[in-house]
Amino acid sequence: MRPELKEYKFDSMLWTTFAAAAKLRNGSEKEFRTMLKYIPYFNGTVTAVLDAGEPGQLFLECITKYFENYITARDRGFHNAITTFCFSPGILYAMDVYPICLEVVSVAQTFAYKRGTAEFLDYCNEVGYTETSCSSQRGTLGAFLAGLGAEVDMVLTDTPGVCDTNANAFAFAAAYLKKPFFSLDMPPVLVDPRTDKYHNSDFKALIAFIEKNTGRKLDIDKLRVVLREIEKQEEIVAELEDLARIVPNPLPVTFNMMLYATRFLFSGMKECTVVLESMLKVASDNASRGISGLTGGVEKMRAFFCYIDHYTNGLRLWDFLDRNGICYQGNILSRSWAKTAPHVKEYRTEASAYSFDMKDLDSMIRTMADHNSRMPMIKSIRGPYDAPDMWLQDTLSLAKMYSADCIIYNGTPGCRNTWGMVKLLARDTEQAGFPTFIMYGDAFDDRVESWEASQDRLEEFLRVRRLLP
Amino acid sequence: MNTVFMEAAISLNNDYVREWKQAGKKVVGYTCSYVPDELLYAAGILPYRIRGFGATEATIGDTYFGPFICSLPKAMLQLAGEGKFDFLDGAIITPGCDSMRRLDECWRKAGGDITGVLPKFFFHFGVPHKFADYTVKWFIDEILRLKVAVEGHFGVSINEDKLRETIQLFNKSRDLLEQFDRLRIADKPAITGTEALAVILAGTTMPRDVYVELLEGLIGNMQKSKGEMQGKVRLMLVGSASDDVNLIRLIEGERAIVVADNLCFGSRFHVDRVDEMDEPIQALAMRYLAKNECPRMYGEYAGRLKMLTDKAEKAKIDGVILQNIRFCDLHGSENGLFERDLEEAGIPCLKIEREYGPLVETGRLKMRVDAFLERIGQRRKTA
Repeated sequence: MRPELKEYKFDSMLWTTFAAAAKLRNGSEKEFRTMLKYIPYFNGTVTAVLDAGEPGQLFLECITKYFENYITARDRGFHNAITTFCFSPGILYAMDVYPICLEVVSVAQTFAYKRGTAEFLDYCNEVGYTETSCSSQRGTLGAFLAGLGAEVDMVLTDTPGVCDTNANAFAFAAAYLKKPFFSLDMPPVLVDPRTDKYHNSDFKALIAFIEKNTGRKLDIDKLRVVLREIEKQEEIVAELEDLARIVPNPLPVTFNMMLYATRFLFSGMKECTVVLESMLKVASDNASRGISGLTGGVEKMRAFFCYIDHYTNGLRLWDFLDRNGICYQGNILSRSWAKTAPHVKEYRTEASAYSFDMKDLDSMIRTMADHNSRMPMIKSIRGPYDAPDMWLQDTLSLAKMYSADCIIYNGTPGCRNTWGMVKLLARDTEQAGFPTFIMYGDAFDDRVESWEASQDRLEEFLRVRRLLP
Repeated sequence: MNTVFMEAAISLNNDYVREWKQAGKKVVGYTCSYVPDELLYAAGILPYRIRGFGATEATIGDTYFGPFICSLPKAMLQLAGEGKFDFLDGAIITPGCDSMRRLDECWRKAGGDITGVLPKFFFHFGVPHKFADYTVKWFIDEILRLKVAVEGHFGVSINEDKLRETIQLFNKSRDLLEQFDRLRIADKPAITGTEALAVILAGTTMPRDVYVELLEGLIGNMQKSKGEMQGKVRLMLVGSASDDVNLIRLIEGERAIVVADNLCFGSRFHVDRVDEMDEPIQALAMRYLAKNECPRMYGEYAGRLKMLTDKAEKAKIDGVILQNIRFCDLHGSENGLFERDLEEAGIPCLKIEREYGPLVETGRLKMRVDAFLERIGQRRKTA
């Protein structure tokens, strides 16, 4: 690791970087353009996000607030916890614990820095964590292992039974940093009374763990407020998802990423609602005028990403899609599995979805447990890919419903779970009539395969399968 | 050592399996040490630990699995695809780890493409990743689900008396293996680590009553033996699944002896007894789920470190070899922690990553092990 990286806390640097980015539009257009020259590796992201208008501005402010929250949590008498993207932060906010979502912080680094998270990825290997582990956690984990992040109170995950490499990252972090650890465990079958009971008991154990490690009791009223906010957010997300079905899709390509990132950061909090409301305003306006969210205004084709996006470096995936008139029809991360979600209603899959019941503490815990166990990846990659309510069913139904012309898989080499079944999935989706492309790069580490090489291959797929006119 | 152990350890369809099948009885394979195999034996079915030993290519494995996957399940699928597991009447897949649990889908799909390679009884057996009252409850239900499935498919009945009897038999083998472990760590061991692995492996592939008889004979002989292996570097082998006796042979060479391990094909197979006084299914759930020796049980690192440290002390270990199969992040990462903490405790460690399967990396591995033995030798001289 370069010595200069050790000069400052990495997350304080990110905080100030995003804080400055969020203020860039405060000046004149000329000042804004001038400033971009001074951030050569970050300007692509900043431009793409701010060009989305008010939602982009609010999104940057949201990220800034997130860093501020967890970095200053202890000074303010609260706690923080290292956690994962598919762990709904609602319960943490309700208990005054500020989450540190490793994956989202990794994305923030790949968006902002020339080298992305490379040096922290490698630092993990230096201290014994395997290089074959998932780069999504590793990129930020390395900084915490090196003592370059905020002081941490506890480590939480919910991926045992869903993703070993994810769960292992958090178990390793807890053992290495000697911090209290708790994991929510996921049985292989989703819709099953045994599973419901298990999730519920597990969630109660989580609350007990947090109470023990913070010395604070769960405040029922606070939990109710958080749940009401999540319910409100789900309704907005449902409207956005409905709008995405219109041809042309009125949502700009960056909205999908902003939608899920905001929820991962602030689900259950006003900060998230404000961004979603702003996105809905723009999308509804585009829809009422019948215009596409794409910069060029012409929708040439629609792609559904059956797993995650490609985050290196400077939003280049989104730029590629936008430039080529490819409409982004969502991925596994952006979907809500509330009963009000359009795809849940369309396919009558209410049994695998969740609803909101805020009658009493038990019903609220059950709601949180249901919500958490239906988070992206947690919901659909726990059992065999071709089992009911799992990856294949979700992929095919979403690709069909959102009129996708093709399905694209992108992940990380660390994703043992999806790499164990993606060939089978692709075979089935091809048989169902969806040209399917498997990207072999690393969503978080350009050194595995440069974005240019990934883009070449993606272009070749689109050309050979005659998907782009 | 009786050669039957070695023969059973290095052939998939060994004499005992063949005899069992010739008697018209069923064999069901399983992939993980968290499967309560007593249940199968009580049903008159031979439980058989599925291995990847003997696979010489991965053409079939690579057809279904993606590239970034551990070579052990790929080797298992390869063997299945080649018809080497045709003697299995059933298979139980568990979420031991992500690569292994995806063997479920890959094997099923291969079964759709290659006639006859998928056993008629194919069961996905869930195992929680932590031990708590509600996880034990869930696991009890899962064992009952397996019981019902086995009874239904094979037309057998697993009654409580038979299960109790089987638990006693399996406990007896565990007691004997514990005794065997104590003899392994003697100052002058009567058996090499290579032979010891063969003895333990044999237990996963042969009828348990026969195994118990053979073990009694072996232990009797070991007790009488004066032991000849003195002055060798005493090693402990830890990490990913290792069912290849040739790997241990390579490590031991002329100068070392593996006297202890924490491997799921090794001592994890027999640690802890099943409580014979408890209700049998409950007792099985408690024994299998309380096993924290595998890093799949997240958050239990401190306990595993203590277990290794105690074992190293008892066995008078000179060094620990921490190995993982490439893409086995669970063992690989935990090995990183072990290396830090064991070295800090004064126990030399060698951390190596390897491929499962035929020893294609013999030269590299041998060179690293030799260098490690040199290091230990230097340490002894300066002690």
